[in-house]
Amino acid sequence: MATTVLQPRSSTYSRAGIYEWLTTTDHKKIGIMYVLTAYIFFFTGGILALGIRTELAAPGTQLLEPGLYNQVFTMHGTTMIFLFVMPMLAGFANYIVPLQIGAADMAFPRINALSFWLIPLSGILLFLGFATGGAAAAGWTSYAPLSATEPGRGQDLWIVALILNGTSSILSAINFLATIFKLRAPGMTLLRMPIFVWTQLVTSVLLLFAVPVLTSALIMLFIDRNYGGGFFDPAVGGDPILWQHVFWFFGHPEVYIMILPAMGVISEVLPVFSRRPLFGYKAFVLATVAIGALGFGVWAHHMFTTGAVYFPFFAFATFLISVPTGVKMFNWIATMWRGRLSFTTPMLFAVGFLSAFLIGGLDGAFSAAVPVDFALQDTYWIVSHLHYVLFGGSAFGIMAATYYWFPKMFGARLDERLGKIHFTLQFIGTNLAFFPMHLLGINGMPRRIQDYAPYAGWQEWNLLSTVGAFMIAASMLPLLWNIFVTLRGPRDAGDDPWDGNTLEWATTSPPPAYNFEHLPEVRSERPLFDLKHGLAHGQTSPAIPAHAGEGPA
Amino acid sequence: MPASRVPTRLVLLLAAAALGLAGCAEAQGPIGHGPGFFPPPPISDRGLQIDSLYQVVFWIAAAIFVLVEALLIWAVVRYRRRGDDSLPTQTHGNLVLEVIWTVIPAAIVLFLFVASMDTLAKVESQEDPPSVTVDVTGFQWQWTFDYKAEGLSFTGEGDKGPELVLPVNETVRINLHGNDVVHAFYVPQFLYKKDVVPGRVNSFDVRVEQPGTYNGQCAEFCGLAHQAMRFTMRVVPRAEYEAWVAAEQEKAKATPTPGASAGATLQVSAANAASFEQSTLEAPADTAIAIAFDNKDPAQPHNVAIKGANPDGSDFSGKPIANAGEKVTYTTPPLKAGTYTFYCAVHPNMQGTLTVK
Amino acid sequence: MAVQAELLAHQGQEHSQGEHEGLANTALLGMLLFITSEVMFFGGLFAVYFSIRAKHGAEWLHPPTLPEGIHFAVNPIVIVATVLLIISSFTMQWGIWRIRKGDRSGMNRAIAVTLLLGVVFLALQAYDYSLLINEGIRLNSGIFGSLFYTMTGFHGAHVFGGVVGLAVILARGAAGQFSAKHHVAVEAVSIYWHFVDVVWIALFTTLYILR
Ligand code: HEA
Ligand code: HEA
Ligand code: CUA
Ligand SMILES: [Cu+2]
Repeated sequence: MATTVLQPRSSTYSRAGIYEWLTTTDHKKIGIMYVLTAYIFFFTGGILALGIRTELAAPGTQLLEPGLYNQVFTMHGTTMIFLFVMPMLAGFANYIVPLQIGAADMAFPRINALSFWLIPLSGILLFLGFATGGAAAAGWTSYAPLSATEPGRGQDLWIVALILNGTSSILSAINFLATIFKLRAPGMTLLRMPIFVWTQLVTSVLLLFAVPVLTSALIMLFIDRNYGGGFFDPAVGGDPILWQHVFWFFGHPEVYIMILPAMGVISEVLPVFSRRPLFGYKAFVLATVAIGALGFGVWAHHMFTTGAVYFPFFAFATFLISVPTGVKMFNWIATMWRGRLSFTTPMLFAVGFLSAFLIGGLDGAFSAAVPVDFALQDTYWIVSHLHYVLFGGSAFGIMAATYYWFPKMFGARLDERLGKIHFTLQFIGTNLAFFPMHLLGINGMPRRIQDYAPYAGWQEWNLLSTVGAFMIAASMLPLLWNIFVTLRGPRDAGDDPWDGNTLEWATTSPPPAYNFEHLPEVRSERPLFDLKHGLAHGQTSPAIPAHAGEGPA
Repeated sequence: MPASRVPTRLVLLLAAAALGLAGCAEAQGPIGHGPGFFPPPPISDRGLQIDSLYQVVFWIAAAIFVLVEALLIWAVVRYRRRGDDSLPTQTHGNLVLEVIWTVIPAAIVLFLFVASMDTLAKVESQEDPPSVTVDVTGFQWQWTFDYKAEGLSFTGEGDKGPELVLPVNETVRINLHGNDVVHAFYVPQFLYKKDVVPGRVNSFDVRVEQPGTYNGQCAEFCGLAHQAMRFTMRVVPRAEYEAWVAAEQEKAKATPTPGASAGATLQVSAANAASFEQSTLEAPADTAIAIAFDNKDPAQPHNVAIKGANPDGSDFSGKPIANAGEKVTYTTPPLKAGTYTFYCAVHPNMQGTLTVK
Repeated sequence: MAVQAELLAHQGQEHSQGEHEGLANTALLGMLLFITSEVMFFGGLFAVYFSIRAKHGAEWLHPPTLPEGIHFAVNPIVIVATVLLIISSFTMQWGIWRIRKGDRSGMNRAIAVTLLLGVVFLALQAYDYSLLINEGIRLNSGIFGSLFYTMTGFHGAHVFGGVVGLAVILARGAAGQFSAKHHVAVEAVSIYWHFVDVVWIALFTTLYILR
C-alpha cells in the first residue's frame, strides 16, 4: 500500500495525561473531546427519546405525566440538535479539516479550545433545569408567548445555555473559515479541496449568518421573561409572530448546518469504497453553495399555518431546494455506478444515509406544497420528516464518520462484524421507529402530545414505533462494545487502512502533534490517489462527450 | 479489503426487508382501524381540493422514491466488489447526465409549485356573506365557540371540549381569536388547520359536505394541557341545525336568575389562570349558596366548581362559564357541613377551600 | 509510483512567506468574520424593530407602544454624543496612520483621545437614559421602551468592549509593543471601533431621525 514517508508513531499523543487534555489547544485532541461529548449527549437525548416512546406506546399515562413529558421532548430536541449533531460534526471537522487541507492546526487554537469548552458548559446549564424544579418545556422551538410566560427557571437556563452554545458555534465558524482560507497547503486550491472541507466551509458561513440572529431572539425572549419587555406581547405592541420569524431565520439554515457536513462525510466515504472519483465534483460544490444560499430564503415554510406569511415566495424557494439536493443524490449514485464497491461498515452507513435521507427529503417536498402542509403541519408527519433527515441523514453520516475516521484517530479499525450488526439493527430500527409516524401524521395525530384517545386508531403504529426506538437503542450496544474492545486491542491499522484519497491518510494514525512530516503534492481533489496511481487517472477531464457512455445512462 | 461477503449479503437482504416492510404499509392497508398512507376521507369542499393535491404529490414522490431506491439497490448489488481489485474506470462527471438530472427535478418542482398555488387559491378563498359565522377562541387549555349572531356561547372544560354544530353544505366562516399563547384549530378530516395567534384574527371558510360527528384538537403546542384541547364537531342538515339553535337559545334563557332563594352570597373572583383571588371561603350548611363570580381576567374564561357538591356526589360546576371580563352568579345545591375544594373547571389547577358550617 | 514532491514541512509554511504578514492577515480576517456575525446580531434587532414599526404605522410612539401621555423627544445631549463618537472614529484612524508610519507616541496620543471620547459617549448615554427613565420610558413600558433600551443598550455594551480594547492597546502602546510592521492588534481594534460607530449612526438614524 502506497503511503508517504512513514513517521514513527508519536506516543505523546495517546498517553497524554488528563491535565494535558484539559488544557490542550491541539485540534485533534479538541476534536476527540467534541466527539466524545457529543456521544454522551446523544445517549442522554436517546434515553429521553426512549422515555417519549414508552409514554406513547399506548394511550393513557405510562411513564411521564404531562408536565414532565413536555420537559422531556423539549430537552430531547434541544439536546439532539445543539449538543449532539452540531458538536459531533464540529468535532469531526475539527479533527479532519486541518488534516485534509494539509494544515498543522486550526487558525486560532486557543479560541478553538474555548469553543469546545462552551459546549459541555451549555449542556450542564441546560440540564440543570431538571434540578431547579423543571427543565424548559416549550419545545425546542420555544414559541413565544408560551416561552415568555412559562414560569420556572428551566426556560431561562435554556436561553442562557443556547446563547453560550451559539457563541461556541460562531467562534468555531470564524475559526474554520480562517483555517480554510488561510492555512491550505500549497497546491490546495479551493476547487481541489475535499468535499467534506467544502461542506464545512458552507456550514461555517451559514453558522456565521444564522446563529447571531438566534442570539438576538434569545436575548429578546430573556428580556420579555425577566425584565418586563414586550417584544412578543401584543398587549404592549409586540408581536408573537416575530419570534417565529426570527427563530426560523436561524432555524432553517440550522437544519442545513446539520446535514451539509454529513453529506460531506458521505462524499468522502462513497468514492473511497467505490474506488471511483466523486462524480461531478464541481456540481457538488455548486449544489452545496446553492443549498446554503437558498436555505436563507425558506424559513417561513415552518409558518404556513400562521396566516402571516407570503406563500408564493417561500413555497417556491422551498421546492427549489430539492433540485440541488437531487443533484447530489444522483451524483452519489453515479459515483457508485461501475465502481468496485466494498461494503465495509462506513460504506453501509453511507448507503443507509442515501436510502433514508431520500425518504426524509421527499417528506419535506410534501410540506413545500402549502395546502398539503396545512394538513401535515404540527402532526407526526413532521416528526417523521425530521427524524428521517436528522437520524436517517445526519446520524447515519455521523456513524459513517465514526467508523471511517476511527482508525485515523486511534490507530485501530473497529471490528467489521460488530459494525454490521450495529448497522443492521440501526437501519431496521430507524424505519420501524419513524416510518409509521407518517401514517399517524397524515391521519391526524398532532405532535407534542403526551396522550391520545384510544378511539383514534393510533395504537398499533405507535407501538410499532416504540419497538423500533428500542431497536435503535439496542443497536448502540454493539457500537459501544466495539469501541471498548478495539481500544484495548492492538493499534495496527496503519496509516491508510481504507486506501484513501485525501491527505489525512498521508500521515500516521494518529498523526503527530504537527500533523505532517511531508505533504504529497496536491494537484487534484485526490492527492493521495494521484500519488498511488499516477496523475493520469485523476486528471481525466470531466464532462467531455467522449465519456458520455460512462455514467449510469 | 477484508469485507466478508456473506454478512454483506445478509445485511443487504435485511435492508431490503426493512424497506419492503415500509412499503407494505400501503399494500396491507391499515392495521385494524388504524391509519393508512392517505389522509382520512375529506369531508369539506376545501379538504377535497387538498386531498387531490396530496394525491398528486404522493404519486410523484412515490415514483421518485422507487426510481432512486431502485438505482441505489441496483448499484449496490451489481457493482459490489467480487474479488476483482483492479481500478475501475475513473469517471469524473458527465455534463449531459448532470444537466438532465438538474432539469427534470426542476421541471417537476415547477409543476408542483404551480399546482400548489392553484389549490391554495381555492382553499383560502372566502365567500361573503357566509351563512354561519363562528368565533372560536383558543385559550390555555380549551376552546370557546361563540355564535354571535345567534347569541350562543360554549366553552369546554378539562379534556371535554365544546361541540361545534354546523349545517351541512353551507359556507361557514371560522374566525380564530387568541389571548394567551399560540394554538391551532385542527380537524383532521378538513385536512386543514390554522393557528390561533394572540393579537391577530385568522379566518377561514369551509363547507362541510358530509354530515356526521368528528373530532378536532389543538395542533400547536401550548403548554401543560395541550393534548387535552380536544373538541367535537357535529355536522347536521339545516333543519336540525335550526332546531338545535332554538333549543340552545331556550336553554340559555332558562338559566335561573341567580341568588333568589339562596341562603348566602359568596363573592369570588379571578384575575388570571393561576389562582382565584380567594383561597378560602365560608358558607352556612344546608342551604343553597349564591356565588357571585367576577372574572376579572382579561384573557381567559373561568368558572367556579365544587368537588362532590351535587346531591349525587358528583362535582358541581357553575354554568355558564364566565368569559373574560364577565360576571356570572351561580347557585349551588344545599351543602352538608364539611370542607370542600372549589376549583375552576376550565383550569383545574385554580383551587381553594370552602368550609361549610 | 508518482514523484513524491518534497514540500515544506507544514510548520514552516505560513512562516516562510513573511511570517508576520501571514499571521496578521489571519487575525484581521478573523476580526472581519467576527464583525460579520455582529452585523447579523444587530441585523436581527433592526429587523424586529422595523417589523414592529411597520405593524403600528401611525400609532407608533402612541399607546400601547408607549404609555399614555408620554412623548419621546430627542435630548440634545444625544446629538453631542453622536458627534463625539463620529469624531472618535477619525481619531482612531489617525492613530492607525501614525503607527503605520512608525510614530508610536503619535499613535498613543490618538488612542488616548479615542478612548476618552468613548468614555464620554458612554457617560452621555447613561445621562440620556436617566432623563428618559424620569419621563417614564422604561424597558417595561411598552414595546418602544423594550426596543430602545435593548438596541442602544447592546450598542453601549459594544462601545464598552471597544473602550476596554482601546485601554489594552494604550497600555501595550505605552510599553512600546507596536511598530510600523507589528500592530495587528491596533488594526483589529480599529476595525471594531469603526463598526461600533457605524452601528450607532444606523441606530441614531432609525431611533431618533426616522421615527
Ligand atoms: C437535517 C435536517 C433537515 C433537512 C435536510 C431538511 C430538508 C428539507 N425540509 Fe425540513 N425540517 C427539519 C429538518 C430538515 N429538513 C426539521 C427539524 C423540521 C421540524 C422543525 C420543527 O418544527 O420542530 C423540518 C420541517 C420542515 C418543514 C415545516 C413543516 C411544518 O412544520 O409544517 C418544511 C416545509 O416545507 C420542510 C421542508 C424541507 C424541504 C423541502 C427539505 C429539502 O431540503 C429536502 C430536499 C431533498 C429531496 C427532495 C430528496 C432528494 C431529491 C431528489 C431525489 C430529486 C427529485 C425530487 C423532487 C423533484 C421533489 N421541513
Ligand atoms: C438529531 C436529532 C434527533 C435524533 C437523533 C433523534 C432521535 C430520536 N427521536 Fe427525536 N426529536 C428531535 C430530534 C432528534 N431525535 C427533534 C428536534 C424533535 C422535536 C422536539 C420538539 O418537538 O420540540 C424530536 C421529537 C421526537 C418525538 C416527538 C415528541 C413529540 O412531539 O411529542 C419522538 C417521538 O417518538 C422522538 C423520538 C426519537 C427516537 C425514538 C429517537 C432515536 O433515534 C434515539 C436513539 C438513541 C438511543 C435510544 C440512545 C441509545 C442509548 C443507550 C442504548 C444507552 C446507553 C447508555 C449509556 C452508555 C449511558 N423524537
Ligand atoms: Cu392549545 Cu395546543
Ligand atoms: Cu425548514
